[in-house]
Amino acid sequence: MISNLVLFQIPILLFVIGALSGLLSRNSRLARLMIFVPSMIGSIFTIVFSIGIITGTPLKLTVPHILPFFDLEILVDGISAFFMLIIGLVSFAVSLYSIGYSKEYEIKKRMSAFGFLFNIFILSMILVVSSNNSFFFLIFWELMSLVSFFLVIYDHDKEENLKSGMTYLVMTHLGTAFIFASFLLGYIQTGNFSFDSFRHGSTGFPLLVKNLVFVFAFIGFGTKAGMVPLHVWLPKAHPSAPSNISALMSAVMIKIGIYGMIRTIFDFSGFGASPDFAWWGMLLVAFGSASAIIGVLYAVVERDIKRALAFSSIENIGIILIGLGLSVVFTSFNLTAFAVLALVASMYHTINHAVFKGLLFMGAGSVVSVTHTKNIEHLGGLVKQMPWTSLLFLIGAISISGLPPFNGFISEWFTLQALLSSYHIPSTILQISIAFASLPFALTIGIAAATFVKLFGMTFLSKTRSENIINIKEVPRSMILGMSILAAVCVLFGVVPYLGTSLISTAFHMSFQPSSPLDFISVQNNSGKSFANLSMPVVVIILSSISIAIFGFIRVLGGHTKKTTYGTWDCGFGSLNERMEYTPTSLSQPIRAVFKVFFKPHNQTEKESFGENQYLLKTIKVETVIKNIFEDVLYTPIVSSFVFFFDKVRRLQTGKINAYLLYIMITLVLLLLFVRLSNNA
Amino acid sequence: MLNMITIIIGLIQVLVILVLAPLLTGIIRKTKARTQKRIGASILQPYYDLLKLVRKDEVISDQTSWIFRACPWINFAAITTAAFFIPVFLAYTPFGLVGDLLLVIGLFALGRFFTMLAGLDVASSFGGLGSSREMMISALLEPALFLSIFVVAITYGGTNLSTLISASSNSSFLPHPQIIFAAIGLFIIILGETGRLPFDNPATHLELTMVHETMILEYSGKSLALMEWSQSIKQIILFTLMINIFVPWGISSSILLSTLAVGFLTFIGKISLFGIFVAFLESSVAKWRLFRIPDLIAIAIATSMIGIVLCYL
Repeated sequence: MISNLVLFQIPILLFVIGALSGLLSRNSRLARLMIFVPSMIGSIFTIVFSIGIITGTPLKLTVPHILPFFDLEILVDGISAFFMLIIGLVSFAVSLYSIGYSKEYEIKKRMSAFGFLFNIFILSMILVVSSNNSFFFLIFWELMSLVSFFLVIYDHDKEENLKSGMTYLVMTHLGTAFIFASFLLGYIQTGNFSFDSFRHGSTGFPLLVKNLVFVFAFIGFGTKAGMVPLHVWLPKAHPSAPSNISALMSAVMIKIGIYGMIRTIFDFSGFGASPDFAWWGMLLVAFGSASAIIGVLYAVVERDIKRALAFSSIENIGIILIGLGLSVVFTSFNLTAFAVLALVASMYHTINHAVFKGLLFMGAGSVVSVTHTKNIEHLGGLVKQMPWTSLLFLIGAISISGLPPFNGFISEWFTLQALLSSYHIPSTILQISIAFASLPFALTIGIAAATFVKLFGMTFLSKTRSENIINIKEVPRSMILGMSILAAVCVLFGVVPYLGTSLISTAFHMSFQPSSPLDFISVQNNSGKSFANLSMPVVVIILSSISIAIFGFIRVLGGHTKKTTYGTWDCGFGSLNERMEYTPTSLSQPIRAVFKVFFKPHNQTEKESFGENQYLLKTIKVETVIKNIFEDVLYTPIVSSFVFFFDKVRRLQTGKINAYLLYIMITLVLLLLFVRLSNNA
Repeated sequence: MLNMITIIIGLIQVLVILVLAPLLTGIIRKTKARTQKRIGASILQPYYDLLKLVRKDEVISDQTSWIFRACPWINFAAITTAAFFIPVFLAYTPFGLVGDLLLVIGLFALGRFFTMLAGLDVASSFGGLGSSREMMISALLEPALFLSIFVVAITYGGTNLSTLISASSNSSFLPHPQIIFAAIGLFIIILGETGRLPFDNPATHLELTMVHETMILEYSGKSLALMEWSQSIKQIILFTLMINIFVPWGISSSILLSTLAVGFLTFIGKISLFGIFVAFLESSVAKWRLFRIPDLIAIAIATSMIGIVLCYL
């Protein structure tokens, strides 16, 4: 039996090998294999290792004084292992997918940098969740952010990508600053950078410090997770990156933000069963609801398939935060059973979102790699040319819309049950506010289904909307295989929720009811009766037996009938063409009109006329644009005031040597005055 | 033994729903005809229609994919599975341990998801039009529906329909004023979910007004029969929920032949009366303009929110 320590070192070694062989190799098929095969094997070992930790004992390791003053401390407990499992699962599928996907990049530019960054990116995420010292946590965190920044600007010949890379860089460092502040507070209180000392010392922190530790971590990790209003980088950075990287970023990296939040709240902040902490949970629920509804509203009107998926990530992070927040509220009122329910909901959605968003981004990547457009206005009818991609994308779409019997339904069911359980909270104000928070949540689920009807329908169904995508072919087999792995997990976690719930309850050391795979998930009410039950395997059995029964029944009743293929009904006018079809913009028009207060849609018209006469038009272009309130109202004023301020500061830099001497003189006098005055006092 | 009997009764309840679904549609159509001073077709006409349709040949558009062909079956299976969790004349169903009210909503949403895709699959602007409108209406109905369920579930202690309906059949209206608000909300939502006036006019084929009919415009033969049948099953399920949650009087709470018979007869009576009421309502209102429908849903949301506040005060 290999020890856990060896199992932990093997994947690290493999990712390093993958990274180095990426740097050393030249453009060839072999290079692709040398980059992605080590990362695949590394991911498998990561999965094996994390399952071993979840079912066994935590791995703890200290290398003293690896740097002056700092020990490298590693702790992989159930929580870390759970997130490591997500990393391993998605990285495995994405690495397999990348073997076929990166062929396109081979022709355009060198693979070596990409292979290096790809492997280091996965490695850095594994190291972040396993470090047990704030100093090394921040180093790995920075490594993760920087490597992902370089991956975002990998297609740097497009200026747009550089811009989104810059937004990402600024926002992620803003987040890091807050995380740093949160850790620094812990250091000031305990005098040690180790997470262990935070863990032991945090119960003794003053309440104000506890609150500050939470708020700083909430902002810092919330930025990484893509929480509204700190989400602005996400819909820019994710679509700019190559699609396999978008899959990793959306599926895994933003979950590391959730990991940080859980770590801080439950481990370092001195959080306990006291109503003093209820407002933390309410803050999470409030920002979660806002993220969910705002994310999905932008997703439904989006025409760029990858941007729509990125906005939907914001939505799902919102759902995860709602579950997490409810768990915090329940814990603070000492309602353990419901806190467990809410945390299971939140973590189930975390792993679900990783799985289906990885799948959907890979599906979108397949579409983009054969059609070379991200705009769904130009797509359509791909179901015939790309049957496998469309089927797998459909599985992802059904899952993310929260429809039974796939995995999204299970986690949303848990979240709804957690919301319903809020009636146990002994505070009327909180009860009513949580009940009202279920309004945006339910609206989100409804609009999410509409979003994915639109994305799938417009990309894969009906007639092709542009001519240059008629002669396309299905993507290579490795890409389909990569997607099928995640699709299989979607189905498995939907049909057998026992797998997920037992995984989560073992990882987080909680007692959660179902004890056998066919058992019912149940929630009890006050009088001991069943509040709600769910047994997905039986539902699937009923569903499939009805399908068979009705097929037989209709066949017996109606006998054999003929099926004729004929054109779609065209009201007798003939020649239906693709320009008469519904477009994505017109499809979402009713929703845009209903939420017009939020979107502020308006038409921009560009006209070009023949000569003087403005009524004789050569061309006319009408575009419907929506307002992006966060950038217009929040970020643009901040950025422009900074620019204004530093413009003024620039006047100090005259370039004349005597001016600089004057500055030195003034500073010196001020410093002397300061010393003098502070000594007196 | 007792287990066997409850399972058999559970299956009978499913069959009752499947068999009576077209009859309810027939009753509503007949009532509408009589209020408009027409004699109207027999109340058994929906059965004849279904029988005729399953024997007809099909024409399938050449633009469509497997989704269009699979949709009627998936839609039917999803909606019929939902029927397993509904107590009909006995305030208990053995399948209540398998799924709850939220699963019923989820299954309806699954059927609708595929119907919307099928509408897009045919590549005509009719299908897109229907899907587009359905997207908006269903997205808005979802929160309204969940909020009214919230009120009911908290008042009666469960989203498990067996718990919920046995609790409602044992209690009277008066201690729970919030239930009245939930009933108003749920009634509006049911009109929307089943595509009745003022949301959608099931009797028209005019592109200005129709929603559900546009999505299934290309279907014929067996597929159309399945789509029509599942639509009426969905309707009877929602009506049954409405009457069993809010007017549960007469529903049987024990497995005795006498109470079961009473429960069955009162169920038939109540559901017919409810159908006739809906038909009268439909005859007296006009179809609302599409963009006024959100106002109606907002009323449903608002009443449910009042219900929630009343729950906790």
